[in-house]
Amino acid sequence: MSAMQPGMAEPIGFRPATLPDAGARAPGNASAGFGARLAVRNLVMRYPNGHTALDGVSLSVGAGEMVVILGSNGCGKSTLMKCVVGLNRPSGGSVEVAGRDLAALRGGALRAARLPVALISQHANLVKRRSVLANVCTGALGRHRSLATTLGRVPKSEIEPARGFLDEVGLLHLAPQRAGTLSGGQAQRVAVARALAQRPQVVLADEPVASLDPEAADDVMRLLRRLATDDGLAVVAVLHQPDLAARYADRLVGMRGGRVEFDERASAVGAQRIANLYVAAAR
Amino acid sequence: MSEAPSLTPSGGARAGSRAPRGGSLSKLAGFAAFVALFVQACHGVHARPQDLISGVHGMADILSRAMPPDLGQFVPSLEPIVETIDLAVFGTVLGVVLAFPLALLAASNVSPARPLYYFARAIIGVTRSVPDLVWALLFVTAVGLGPFPGALALGVHSIGMLGRLFSEVIEDMDMGPVEALTLTGASRLQVFTHAVVPGVLPTLLGISLYRFDENLRSSLVLGFVGAGGIGFMLLTAMNLFQYQTVSYLLIVTFVLVALAERGSAFLRSRVQ
Repeated sequence: MSAMQPGMAEPIGFRPATLPDAGARAPGNASAGFGARLAVRNLVMRYPNGHTALDGVSLSVGAGEMVVILGSNGCGKSTLMKCVVGLNRPSGGSVEVAGRDLAALRGGALRAARLPVALISQHANLVKRRSVLANVCTGALGRHRSLATTLGRVPKSEIEPARGFLDEVGLLHLAPQRAGTLSGGQAQRVAVARALAQRPQVVLADEPVASLDPEAADDVMRLLRRLATDDGLAVVAVLHQPDLAARYADRLVGMRGGRVEFDERASAVGAQRIANLYVAAAR
Repeated sequence: MSEAPSLTPSGGARAGSRAPRGGSLSKLAGFAAFVALFVQACHGVHARPQDLISGVHGMADILSRAMPPDLGQFVPSLEPIVETIDLAVFGTVLGVVLAFPLALLAASNVSPARPLYYFARAIIGVTRSVPDLVWALLFVTAVGLGPFPGALALGVHSIGMLGRLFSEVIEDMDMGPVEALTLTGASRLQVFTHAVVPGVLPTLLGISLYRFDENLRSSLVLGFVGAGGIGFMLLTAMNLFQYQTVSYLLIVTFVLVALAERGSAFLRSRVQ
Protein backbone atom coordinates (compact mmCIF):
# COMPACT_ATOMS: atom_id res chain seq x y z
CA MET A 1 0.00 0.00 0.00
CA SER A 2 1.24 3.43 -0.74
CA ALA A 3 2.02 5.95 1.98
CA MET A 4 -1.04 7.28 3.81
CA GLN A 5 -1.83 10.90 3.29
CA PRO A 6 -3.60 13.11 5.88
CA GLY A 7 -7.31 13.02 5.29
CA MET A 8 -7.41 9.57 3.76
CA ALA A 9 -10.21 7.58 5.36
CA GLU A 10 -9.75 4.01 4.23
CA PRO A 11 -8.25 1.58 6.74
CA ILE A 12 -4.97 -0.09 6.19
CA GLY A 13 -5.61 -3.69 5.28
CA PHE A 14 -4.18 -6.46 7.41
CA ARG A 15 -1.39 -8.40 5.86
CA PRO A 16 0.49 -11.30 7.38
CA ALA A 17 3.87 -10.30 8.70
CA THR A 18 6.52 -11.08 6.14
CA LEU A 19 9.63 -9.41 7.39
CA PRO A 20 12.02 -8.29 4.73
CA ASP A 21 15.72 -8.57 5.19
CA ALA A 22 15.98 -5.17 6.77
CA GLY A 23 19.71 -4.87 6.49
CA ALA A 24 19.82 -5.86 2.83
CA ARG A 25 16.94 -3.59 1.89
CA ALA A 26 18.02 -0.55 3.79
CA PRO A 27 19.83 2.31 2.18
CA GLY A 28 22.76 3.88 3.84
CA ASN A 29 21.23 7.29 3.94
CA ALA A 30 17.56 8.05 4.35
CA SER A 31 17.44 10.96 2.00
CA ALA A 32 18.95 8.84 -0.78
CA GLY A 33 16.30 6.76 -2.49
CA PHE A 34 13.41 7.45 -0.11
CA GLY A 35 12.81 11.20 -0.05
CA ALA A 36 12.94 12.41 3.56
CA ARG A 37 9.66 12.50 5.48
CA LEU A 38 11.44 13.74 8.58
CA ALA A 39 14.51 15.93 8.39
CA VAL A 40 16.18 17.08 11.60
CA ARG A 41 18.98 19.53 10.97
CA ASN A 42 21.60 20.66 13.44
CA LEU A 43 19.20 20.45 16.38
CA VAL A 44 20.40 22.01 19.64
CA MET A 45 18.58 21.75 22.95
CA ARG A 46 20.09 23.72 25.81
CA TYR A 47 18.30 23.96 29.15
CA PRO A 48 18.27 27.15 31.24
CA ASN A 49 20.68 25.51 33.73
CA GLY A 50 23.26 25.30 30.95
CA HIS A 51 22.95 21.57 30.30
CA THR A 52 23.12 20.75 26.60
CA ALA A 53 20.86 17.77 25.85
CA LEU A 54 21.23 17.90 22.07
CA ASP A 55 24.34 19.27 20.42
CA GLY A 56 23.88 19.64 16.67
CA VAL A 57 21.89 16.48 15.93
CA SER A 58 20.97 15.82 12.31
CA LEU A 59 18.80 12.96 11.16
CA SER A 60 16.86 12.18 8.03
CA VAL A 61 14.23 9.46 7.71
CA GLY A 62 12.54 8.56 4.46
CA ALA A 63 9.16 7.05 3.64
CA GLY A 64 9.11 3.32 4.26
CA GLU A 65 12.23 3.45 6.38
CA MET A 66 12.66 2.35 9.98
CA VAL A 67 15.40 3.93 12.04
CA VAL A 68 16.27 2.88 15.58
CA ILE A 69 18.10 5.22 17.93
CA LEU A 70 20.34 3.62 20.54
CA GLY A 71 22.19 5.15 23.43
CA SER A 72 22.49 5.19 27.19
CA ASN A 73 20.13 7.02 29.52
CA GLY A 74 20.54 10.79 29.30
CA CYS A 75 22.19 10.76 25.88
CA GLY A 76 19.39 12.85 24.38
CA LYS A 77 17.20 10.25 22.64
CA SER A 78 13.93 11.15 24.34
CA THR A 79 14.71 14.86 24.17
CA LEU A 80 15.13 14.45 20.43
CA MET A 81 11.70 12.79 20.23
CA LYS A 82 10.11 15.57 22.28
CA CYS A 83 11.67 18.21 20.07
CA VAL A 84 10.36 16.48 16.95
CA VAL A 85 6.75 16.45 18.21
CA GLY A 86 7.01 19.96 19.61
CA LEU A 87 6.83 19.05 23.31
CA ASN A 88 10.24 20.63 23.78
CA ARG A 89 11.24 23.80 22.01
CA PRO A 90 14.77 23.44 20.63
CA SER A 91 17.34 26.18 21.16
CA GLY A 92 18.47 25.90 17.56
CA GLY A 93 18.15 23.95 14.34
CA SER A 94 15.10 22.75 12.45
CA VAL A 95 12.64 19.85 12.42
CA GLU A 96 11.08 19.50 9.01
CA VAL A 97 7.99 17.34 8.52
CA ALA A 98 6.00 17.41 5.29
CA GLY A 99 7.88 20.51 4.22
CA ARG A 100 7.19 22.56 7.37
CA ASP A 101 9.65 23.46 10.10
CA LEU A 102 7.94 22.49 13.38
CA ALA A 103 10.67 24.14 15.44
CA ALA A 104 9.65 27.54 14.11
CA LEU A 105 5.93 27.15 14.88
CA ARG A 106 3.85 27.83 17.97
CA GLY A 107 0.32 27.34 19.30
CA GLY A 108 -2.37 26.43 16.78
CA ALA A 109 0.04 26.41 13.85
CA LEU A 110 2.25 23.86 15.63
CA ARG A 111 -0.79 21.74 16.54
CA ALA A 112 -1.85 21.63 12.90
CA ALA A 113 1.64 21.05 11.53
CA ARG A 114 2.41 18.11 13.82
CA LEU A 115 -0.68 16.16 12.73
CA PRO A 116 1.48 14.02 10.38
CA VAL A 117 3.67 12.99 13.35
CA ALA A 118 2.38 10.33 15.74
CA LEU A 119 4.16 9.46 18.99
CA ILE A 120 3.94 6.09 20.72
CA SER A 121 5.31 6.25 24.25
CA GLN A 122 6.70 3.63 26.61
CA HIS A 123 3.30 3.50 28.27
CA ALA A 124 0.30 3.13 26.00
CA ASN A 125 -1.47 6.03 27.75
CA LEU A 126 -4.93 4.79 26.88
CA VAL A 127 -8.05 6.14 28.58
CA LYS A 128 -8.67 3.05 30.68
CA ARG A 129 -12.41 3.45 31.21
CA ARG A 130 -13.19 3.84 27.50
CA SER A 131 -13.48 1.04 24.98
CA VAL A 132 -10.55 -0.02 22.85
CA LEU A 133 -12.39 1.23 19.74
CA ALA A 134 -13.08 4.65 21.29
CA ASN A 135 -9.41 4.94 22.23
CA VAL A 136 -8.38 4.29 18.65
CA CYS A 137 -10.90 6.85 17.38
CA THR A 138 -9.37 9.55 19.59
CA GLY A 139 -6.31 9.43 17.35
CA ALA A 140 -8.39 11.20 14.70
CA LEU A 141 -9.63 14.04 16.92
CA GLY A 142 -7.17 16.51 15.44
CA ARG A 143 -9.04 16.31 12.13
CA HIS A 144 -12.54 16.53 13.64
CA ARG A 145 -13.27 19.76 15.48
CA SER A 146 -17.07 19.42 15.58
CA LEU A 147 -19.33 20.20 18.53
CA ALA A 148 -20.05 16.48 18.94
CA THR A 149 -16.37 15.58 19.33
CA THR A 150 -15.88 18.52 21.68
CA LEU A 151 -18.68 17.11 23.84
CA GLY A 152 -16.90 13.77 24.08
CA ARG A 153 -18.38 11.83 21.15
CA VAL A 154 -16.05 9.92 18.86
CA PRO A 155 -16.22 10.96 15.18
CA LYS A 156 -18.70 8.58 13.50
CA SER A 157 -16.80 8.60 10.23
CA GLU A 158 -13.72 7.27 12.05
CA ILE A 159 -15.35 4.17 13.51
CA GLU A 160 -14.92 1.91 10.49
CA PRO A 161 -11.35 3.06 9.78
CA ALA A 162 -10.58 2.52 13.48
CA ARG A 163 -11.87 -1.03 13.22
CA GLY A 164 -9.54 -1.49 10.25
CA PHE A 165 -6.57 -0.25 12.28
CA LEU A 166 -7.49 -2.60 15.11
CA ASP A 167 -7.64 -5.39 12.57
CA GLU A 168 -4.18 -4.42 11.37
CA VAL A 169 -2.75 -4.75 14.90
CA GLY A 170 -4.67 -8.02 15.36
CA LEU A 171 -7.03 -6.81 18.07
CA LEU A 172 -10.34 -6.25 16.30
CA HIS A 173 -11.99 -8.84 18.54
CA LEU A 174 -11.23 -6.61 21.56
CA ALA A 175 -12.85 -3.48 20.07
CA PRO A 176 -15.74 -3.23 22.57
CA GLN A 177 -13.62 -4.14 25.60
CA ARG A 178 -12.50 -1.58 28.16
CA ALA A 179 -8.92 -0.47 27.58
CA GLY A 180 -8.13 -0.94 31.27
CA THR A 181 -8.54 -4.69 30.93
CA LEU A 182 -5.79 -5.12 28.31
CA SER A 183 -2.36 -6.61 28.91
CA GLY A 184 0.69 -4.38 28.43
CA GLY A 185 1.41 -5.78 24.97
CA GLN A 186 -2.20 -5.46 23.84
CA ALA A 187 -2.39 -1.89 25.15
CA GLN A 188 0.75 -0.97 23.23
CA ARG A 189 -0.71 -2.43 20.04
CA VAL A 190 -3.86 -0.36 20.59
CA ALA A 191 -1.58 2.67 20.97
CA VAL A 192 -0.14 1.81 17.55
CA ALA A 193 -3.69 1.61 16.13
CA ARG A 194 -4.46 5.02 17.69
CA ALA A 195 -1.32 6.42 16.09
CA LEU A 196 -2.50 5.06 12.71
CA ALA A 197 -5.90 6.74 13.20
CA GLN A 198 -3.97 10.00 13.20
CA ARG A 199 -3.01 9.20 9.54
CA PRO A 200 0.65 10.02 10.19
CA GLN A 201 3.50 10.19 7.76
CA VAL A 202 6.03 9.82 10.56
CA VAL A 203 5.66 7.48 13.55
CA LEU A 204 7.92 8.03 16.57
CA ALA A 205 8.15 5.31 19.19
CA ASP A 206 9.89 6.27 22.43
CA GLU A 207 10.96 3.03 24.13
CA PRO A 208 7.77 1.27 22.98
CA VAL A 209 8.78 -2.13 24.33
CA ALA A 210 10.52 -1.11 27.55
CA SER A 211 7.82 -2.56 29.78
CA LEU A 212 6.90 -5.60 27.68
CA ASP A 213 7.97 -9.22 27.87
CA PRO A 214 10.13 -10.51 24.94
CA GLU A 215 7.19 -12.01 23.04
CA ALA A 216 5.02 -8.89 23.30
CA ALA A 217 8.06 -6.74 22.46
CA ASP A 218 8.61 -8.78 19.32
CA ASP A 219 4.95 -8.35 18.33
CA VAL A 220 5.13 -4.57 18.70
CA MET A 221 8.44 -4.31 16.83
CA ARG A 222 7.08 -6.47 14.00
CA LEU A 223 4.09 -4.16 13.82
CA LEU A 224 6.27 -1.05 13.63
CA ARG A 225 8.37 -2.70 10.96
CA ARG A 226 5.23 -3.42 8.96
CA LEU A 227 4.13 0.23 9.18
CA ALA A 228 7.34 1.15 7.39
CA THR A 229 7.46 -1.72 4.92
CA ASP A 230 3.80 -2.09 3.98
CA ASP A 231 2.36 1.35 4.67
CA GLY A 232 5.33 3.45 3.67
CA LEU A 233 5.54 5.39 6.93
CA ALA A 234 8.77 6.81 8.27
CA VAL A 235 9.33 5.07 11.63
CA VAL A 236 11.78 6.21 14.28
CA ALA A 237 12.08 4.12 17.44
CA VAL A 238 14.16 4.65 20.54
CA LEU A 239 15.25 1.34 22.01
CA HIS A 240 17.50 -0.10 24.70
CA GLN A 241 17.56 -3.55 23.09
CA PRO A 242 20.35 -3.71 20.48
CA ASP A 243 19.25 -7.19 19.35
CA LEU A 244 15.74 -5.98 18.52
CA ALA A 245 17.19 -2.91 16.85
CA ALA A 246 19.47 -4.99 14.63
CA ARG A 247 16.63 -7.32 13.67
CA TYR A 248 14.05 -4.74 12.70
CA ALA A 249 15.78 -1.49 11.75
CA ASP A 250 17.01 -0.34 8.37
CA ARG A 251 19.40 2.09 10.01
CA LEU A 252 20.86 2.40 13.46
CA VAL A 253 21.67 5.75 14.98
CA GLY A 254 23.95 5.76 18.02
CA MET A 255 23.83 8.75 20.33
CA ARG A 256 26.17 9.79 23.12
CA GLY A 257 26.32 13.05 25.05
CA GLY A 258 23.72 14.74 22.87
CA ARG A 259 25.57 13.95 19.64
CA VAL A 260 25.14 11.38 16.89
CA GLU A 261 28.03 8.90 17.13
CA PHE A 262 27.04 6.85 14.09
CA ASP A 263 24.20 6.69 11.59
CA GLU A 264 24.62 3.64 9.37
CA ARG A 265 22.88 0.64 7.88
CA ALA A 266 21.96 -1.85 10.60
CA SER A 267 24.10 -4.57 9.00
CA ALA A 268 27.14 -2.28 8.99
CA VAL A 269 27.11 -1.55 12.72
CA GLY A 270 29.02 -4.07 14.77
CA ALA A 271 28.09 -5.16 18.27
CA GLN A 272 31.24 -3.57 19.67
CA ARG A 273 30.29 -0.10 18.45
CA ILE A 274 26.88 -0.45 20.05
CA ALA A 275 28.43 -1.70 23.28
CA ASN A 276 30.79 1.30 23.26
CA LEU A 277 27.79 3.63 23.51
CA TYR A 278 26.93 2.18 26.89
CA VAL A 279 30.43 1.50 28.17
CA ALA A 280 31.50 5.07 27.60
CA ALA A 281 28.46 6.29 29.49
CA ALA A 282 29.15 3.97 32.42
CA ARG A 283 32.61 5.49 32.80
CA MET B 1 23.81 -17.53 59.71
CA SER B 2 25.95 -14.59 58.71
CA GLU B 3 25.82 -11.36 60.61
CA ALA B 4 24.23 -8.33 58.98
CA PRO B 5 26.92 -5.92 57.82
CA SER B 6 27.28 -2.68 59.74
CA LEU B 7 26.42 0.48 57.86
CA THR B 8 28.91 2.52 59.85
CA PRO B 9 32.70 2.24 59.40
CA SER B 10 33.21 1.55 63.09
CA GLY B 11 31.09 1.05 66.14
CA GLY B 12 28.24 -0.24 64.01
CA ALA B 13 27.01 -2.62 66.65
CA ARG B 14 26.83 0.09 69.29
CA ALA B 15 25.05 2.44 66.93
CA GLY B 16 22.63 -0.34 66.03
CA SER B 17 21.79 -1.03 69.67
CA ARG B 18 21.31 2.66 70.40
CA ALA B 19 18.82 3.21 67.58
CA PRO B 20 15.96 1.15 69.05
CA ARG B 21 16.44 2.79 72.46
CA GLY B 22 16.20 6.21 70.79
CA GLY B 23 13.09 5.08 68.99
CA SER B 24 11.48 3.93 72.24
CA LEU B 25 12.28 7.22 73.92
CA SER B 26 10.70 9.22 71.12
CA LYS B 27 7.62 6.97 71.24
CA LEU B 28 7.39 7.47 74.99
CA ALA B 29 7.72 11.22 74.56
CA GLY B 30 5.02 11.16 71.89
CA PHE B 31 2.68 9.19 74.14
CA ALA B 32 3.33 11.57 77.06
CA ALA B 33 2.57 14.55 74.81
CA PHE B 34 -0.68 12.93 73.72
CA VAL B 35 -1.72 12.27 77.33
CA ALA B 36 -0.87 15.88 78.26
CA LEU B 37 -2.95 17.14 75.35
CA PHE B 38 -5.93 15.03 76.40
CA VAL B 39 -5.68 16.15 80.04
CA GLN B 40 -5.59 19.76 78.85
CA ALA B 41 -8.66 19.10 76.67
CA CYS B 42 -10.54 17.59 79.66
CA HIS B 43 -9.70 20.69 81.66
CA GLY B 44 -10.74 22.91 78.77
CA VAL B 45 -14.20 21.35 78.41
CA HIS B 46 -14.72 21.20 82.20
CA ALA B 47 -15.21 17.45 82.01
CA ARG B 48 -17.02 16.21 85.14
CA PRO B 49 -17.86 12.48 85.00
CA GLN B 50 -19.72 12.75 88.30
CA ASP B 51 -22.32 14.95 86.59
CA LEU B 52 -23.04 12.13 84.18
CA ILE B 53 -23.75 9.83 87.11
CA SER B 54 -25.94 12.34 88.94
CA GLY B 55 -27.76 13.13 85.67
CA VAL B 56 -28.77 9.52 85.02
CA HIS B 57 -32.12 10.08 86.74
CA GLY B 58 -32.97 13.03 84.48
CA MET B 59 -32.05 11.07 81.36
CA ALA B 60 -34.07 8.08 82.49
CA ASP B 61 -37.03 10.39 83.08
CA ILE B 62 -36.81 11.82 79.55
CA LEU B 63 -36.47 8.32 78.07
CA SER B 64 -39.54 7.08 79.95
CA ARG B 65 -41.55 10.08 78.75
CA ALA B 66 -40.32 9.44 75.16
CA MET B 67 -41.74 5.91 75.10
CA PRO B 68 -43.57 4.74 73.14
CA PRO B 69 -42.71 6.79 70.05
CA ASP B 70 -45.69 8.70 68.71
CA LEU B 71 -46.40 6.87 65.46
CA GLY B 72 -49.41 9.12 64.93
CA GLN B 73 -46.89 11.70 63.69
CA PHE B 74 -46.23 9.62 60.58
CA VAL B 75 -48.49 11.60 58.24
CA PRO B 76 -47.56 15.08 59.59
CA SER B 77 -43.87 14.15 59.32
CA LEU B 78 -44.04 13.15 55.65
CA GLU B 79 -43.67 16.69 54.36
CA PRO B 80 -40.65 17.52 56.57
CA ILE B 81 -39.07 14.20 55.54
CA VAL B 82 -39.42 15.07 51.85
CA GLU B 83 -38.19 18.59 52.64
CA THR B 84 -35.10 17.17 54.34
CA ILE B 85 -34.32 14.98 51.32
CA ASP B 86 -34.94 17.95 49.00
CA LEU B 87 -32.50 20.05 51.03
CA ALA B 88 -29.80 17.42 50.57
CA VAL B 89 -30.56 16.98 46.85
CA PHE B 90 -30.56 20.74 46.14
CA GLY B 91 -27.42 21.36 48.19
CA THR B 92 -25.54 18.49 46.60
CA VAL B 93 -26.53 19.35 43.02
CA LEU B 94 -25.68 23.04 43.54
CA GLY B 95 -22.38 22.04 45.12
CA VAL B 96 -21.42 19.62 42.33
CA VAL B 97 -22.40 21.98 39.51
CA LEU B 98 -20.33 24.86 40.92
CA ALA B 99 -17.50 22.80 42.43
CA PHE B 100 -16.57 21.02 39.18
CA PRO B 101 -15.54 24.09 37.15
CA LEU B 102 -13.87 25.55 40.23
CA ALA B 103 -11.93 22.32 40.72
CA LEU B 104 -10.68 22.48 37.14
CA LEU B 105 -9.35 25.97 37.79
CA ALA B 106 -7.94 24.90 41.16
CA ALA B 107 -6.10 21.80 39.89
CA SER B 108 -2.52 22.81 39.18
CA ASN B 109 -2.08 20.30 36.31
CA VAL B 110 -5.02 21.53 34.20
CA SER B 111 -5.61 25.10 35.41
CA PRO B 112 -5.34 27.46 32.44
CA ALA B 113 -3.73 30.39 34.30
CA ARG B 114 -2.09 31.03 37.66
CA PRO B 115 -4.40 33.92 38.73
CA LEU B 116 -7.45 31.70 38.05
CA TYR B 117 -5.84 28.96 40.10
CA TYR B 118 -5.45 31.25 43.13
CA PHE B 119 -8.93 32.72 42.62
CA ALA B 120 -10.54 29.25 42.60
CA ARG B 121 -8.46 28.12 45.58
CA ALA B 122 -9.59 31.19 47.54
CA ILE B 123 -13.30 30.53 46.86
CA ILE B 124 -12.92 26.88 47.79
CA GLY B 125 -11.06 27.85 50.96
CA VAL B 126 -13.68 30.35 52.13
CA THR B 127 -16.74 28.20 51.35
CA ARG B 128 -15.12 25.19 52.97
CA SER B 129 -13.80 26.79 56.13
CA VAL B 130 -17.13 28.39 57.14
CA PRO B 131 -19.36 25.60 58.59
CA ASP B 132 -22.75 24.95 56.95
CA LEU B 133 -24.52 25.92 60.19
CA VAL B 134 -22.97 29.39 60.00
CA TRP B 135 -23.88 29.67 56.31
CA ALA B 136 -27.46 28.73 57.26
CA LEU B 137 -27.60 31.49 59.90
CA LEU B 138 -26.31 33.99 57.33
CA PHE B 139 -28.84 32.89 54.70
CA VAL B 140 -31.72 32.86 57.20
CA THR B 141 -30.85 36.50 57.90
CA ALA B 142 -30.74 37.22 54.17
CA VAL B 143 -33.74 35.31 52.78
CA GLY B 144 -35.77 34.49 55.91
CA LEU B 145 -36.81 31.21 57.58
CA GLY B 146 -37.63 28.07 55.62
CA PRO B 147 -35.87 25.36 53.66
CA PHE B 148 -34.33 27.67 51.04
CA PRO B 149 -31.62 29.18 53.29
CA GLY B 150 -30.78 25.65 54.45
CA ALA B 151 -30.47 24.41 50.89
CA LEU B 152 -28.26 27.38 50.00
CA ALA B 153 -26.11 26.75 53.06
CA LEU B 154 -25.58 23.11 52.11
CA GLY B 155 -24.86 24.10 48.51
CA VAL B 156 -22.29 26.75 49.38
CA HIS B 157 -20.50 24.58 51.93
CA SER B 158 -20.55 21.67 49.45
CA ILE B 159 -18.79 23.86 46.86
CA GLY B 160 -15.81 24.12 49.17
CA MET B 161 -15.78 20.51 50.30
CA LEU B 162 -16.33 19.06 46.83
CA GLY B 163 -14.09 21.63 45.13
CA ARG B 164 -11.17 20.60 47.32
CA LEU B 165 -11.72 16.87 46.79
CA PHE B 166 -12.43 17.21 43.07
CA SER B 167 -9.29 19.24 42.49
CA GLU B 168 -7.19 16.67 44.36
CA VAL B 169 -8.62 13.88 42.22
CA ILE B 170 -7.84 15.84 39.05
CA GLU B 171 -4.30 16.59 40.25
CA ASP B 172 -3.71 12.89 40.97
CA MET B 173 -5.04 11.63 37.65
CA ASP B 174 -2.86 9.90 35.07
CA MET B 175 -1.65 12.62 32.69
CA GLY B 176 -0.46 10.10 30.09
CA PRO B 177 -3.73 10.02 28.10
CA VAL B 178 -3.89 13.83 28.25
CA GLU B 179 -0.44 14.11 26.72
CA ALA B 180 -1.21 11.39 24.16
CA LEU B 181 -4.38 13.12 22.95
CA THR B 182 -2.72 16.53 22.92
CA LEU B 183 -0.13 15.12 20.54
CA THR B 184 -2.81 13.81 18.17
CA GLY B 185 -3.72 17.46 17.54
CA ALA B 186 -6.89 17.42 19.66
CA SER B 187 -8.06 20.78 21.00
CA ARG B 188 -7.93 21.59 24.72
CA LEU B 189 -11.67 21.01 25.04
CA GLN B 190 -11.44 17.69 23.20
CA VAL B 191 -8.60 16.60 25.46
CA PHE B 192 -10.75 17.60 28.42
CA THR B 193 -13.85 15.67 27.34
CA HIS B 194 -12.05 12.63 25.91
CA ALA B 195 -9.23 12.17 28.42
CA VAL B 196 -9.80 14.19 31.61
CA VAL B 197 -13.53 13.56 32.13
CA PRO B 198 -13.51 9.78 31.52
CA GLY B 199 -10.45 9.51 33.75
CA VAL B 200 -11.92 11.22 36.80
CA LEU B 201 -15.70 10.97 36.42
CA PRO B 202 -16.27 7.74 38.39
CA THR B 203 -14.30 9.04 41.35
CA LEU B 204 -16.10 12.40 41.23
CA LEU B 205 -19.48 10.65 41.13
CA GLY B 206 -18.49 8.56 44.13
CA ILE B 207 -17.45 11.66 46.06
CA SER B 208 -20.71 13.44 45.09
CA LEU B 209 -22.79 10.52 46.34
CA TYR B 210 -20.88 10.53 49.60
CA ARG B 211 -21.52 14.28 49.83
CA PHE B 212 -25.26 13.67 49.42
CA ASP B 213 -25.10 11.31 52.35
CA GLU B 214 -23.27 13.99 54.41
CA ASN B 215 -25.70 16.69 53.34
CA LEU B 216 -28.68 14.62 54.41
CA ARG B 217 -27.25 14.39 57.93
CA SER B 218 -26.36 18.08 57.93
CA SER B 219 -29.85 19.06 56.78
CA LEU B 220 -31.26 17.53 59.96
CA VAL B 221 -29.13 19.86 62.09
CA LEU B 222 -29.86 22.89 59.91
CA GLY B 223 -33.53 22.65 60.89
CA PHE B 224 -32.47 23.78 64.37
CA VAL B 225 -31.66 27.23 63.01
CA GLY B 226 -34.96 27.54 61.17
CA ALA B 227 -33.99 25.96 57.87
CA GLY B 228 -36.97 23.57 57.71
CA GLY B 229 -37.09 19.79 57.40
CA ILE B 230 -37.19 17.20 60.16
CA GLY B 231 -34.70 19.21 62.20
CA PHE B 232 -37.17 22.08 62.53
CA MET B 233 -39.97 19.66 63.52
CA LEU B 234 -37.64 18.03 66.05
CA LEU B 235 -36.74 21.40 67.59
CA THR B 236 -40.42 22.35 67.86
CA ALA B 237 -41.28 19.03 69.55
CA MET B 238 -38.43 19.45 72.05
CA ASN B 239 -39.47 23.01 72.88
CA LEU B 240 -43.03 21.75 73.52
CA PHE B 241 -41.72 18.79 75.64
CA GLN B 242 -43.37 16.31 73.21
CA TYR B 243 -40.79 13.63 73.87
CA GLN B 244 -42.80 10.84 72.20
CA THR B 245 -42.75 12.89 68.98
CA VAL B 246 -39.02 13.46 69.52
CA SER B 247 -38.35 9.72 69.83
CA TYR B 248 -40.41 9.04 66.71
CA LEU B 249 -38.46 11.67 64.75
CA LEU B 250 -35.15 10.27 65.97
CA ILE B 251 -36.17 6.85 64.63
CA VAL B 252 -37.13 8.47 61.30
CA THR B 253 -33.76 10.24 61.26
CA PHE B 254 -31.91 7.00 61.90
CA VAL B 255 -33.80 5.22 59.11
CA LEU B 256 -33.21 8.09 56.66
CA VAL B 257 -29.48 8.29 57.37
CA ALA B 258 -29.09 4.51 57.21
CA LEU B 259 -30.93 4.35 53.89
CA ALA B 260 -28.85 7.20 52.47
CA GLU B 261 -25.64 5.50 53.59
CA ARG B 262 -26.59 2.16 52.07
CA GLY B 263 -27.94 3.80 48.92
CA SER B 264 -24.88 5.93 48.29
CA ALA B 265 -22.54 3.01 49.08
CA PHE B 266 -24.43 0.86 46.55
CA LEU B 267 -24.32 3.54 43.85
CA ARG B 268 -20.64 4.24 44.54
CA SER B 269 -19.84 0.57 44.05
CA ARG B 270 -21.73 0.64 40.74
CA VAL B 271 -19.89 3.63 39.28
CA GLN B 272 -16.36 2.46 40.18
